[in-house]
Amino acid sequence: MRDFLLNNVSPFPAKADANGHAAVHIAPIATGFVTHVLGKGNAKADAAHLTKLISDIAPELGATLRSPSPGQWFWVGDCDVSQGRFAEISGQIPGEYAISDQTHGRVRIMISGPQVRDVLAKGAMIDLADGVFVVGASAMTQIGHIGAMITRTDDDCFEIMVLRSFAVSLWHELHQMAAEFNGPHAG
Amino acid sequence: MSSLVKCPHCGLRPREEFTIRGEVATPRPHAGADEGTWFDHVYLRDNPRGQHREYWHHSGGCRRWLVLDRNTVTHETGDVVDASTLKTEGQA
Repeated sequence: MRDFLLNNVSPFPAKADANGHAAVHIAPIATGFVTHVLGKGNAKADAAHLTKLISDIAPELGATLRSPSPGQWFWVGDCDVSQGRFAEISGQIPGEYAISDQTHGRVRIMISGPQVRDVLAKGAMIDLADGVFVVGASAMTQIGHIGAMITRTDDDCFEIMVLRSFAVSLWHELHQMAAEFNGPHAG
Repeated sequence: MSSLVKCPHCGLRPREEFTIRGEVATPRPHAGADEGTWFDHVYLRDNPRGQHREYWHHSGGCRRWLVLDRNTVTHETGDVVDASTLKTEGQA
């Protein structure tokens, strides 16, 4: 646990919701937590086992897991977790997992709208088609040259998780990618 | 170069997500091997025409080291496996 309090500051512009009227809506997800969980390479470290484990330890946080790599997960949720609570949780996680709070290091962006996949297709090189990338699916990939994790949260809604230091760059890029749908003449 | 690589963890991914390290070297010589053997192992690389096994790092995805079987003439890629499987084969 840290011995000082982190003051989490949003990396996004102050008026981040100014595009609320647009066809493609891009918004930061300001609250919530991102925790990196790493299995120590044994056979027991699988998603089902970990889901049960974290639901028992912290039922109030939900058990949304997204796997960037074999044996690794991002445990993501929408409510804020205090550092004290996180220390409690990490104390209860058994030794076959390592856990690290990454709320300060990875930020989330919500992007939605009927043309959201056309927007993402300009940067992401993975197949986001209905039958392939179903609601709930997630993938660690790249948007342009920026590494990002794309998760489909609904039919026309995706969540993008990116390292904090790339967030503004990606934010700007996403707005550029969406500009043709969000311009003043967009139908 | 074929533009899609089948990562054993992530599925079909564009080659832009990968970093190529180079050929899978022969097994590491024992510590007491003579200088020539070590020089060969560390510095000398084959440049084969045809089938070639290479280390690829999925740096834009799962960040796992993979071993990819590639034809240097046609650029067709064959088997792609996680590099940790070489350990069990005794070839790492």
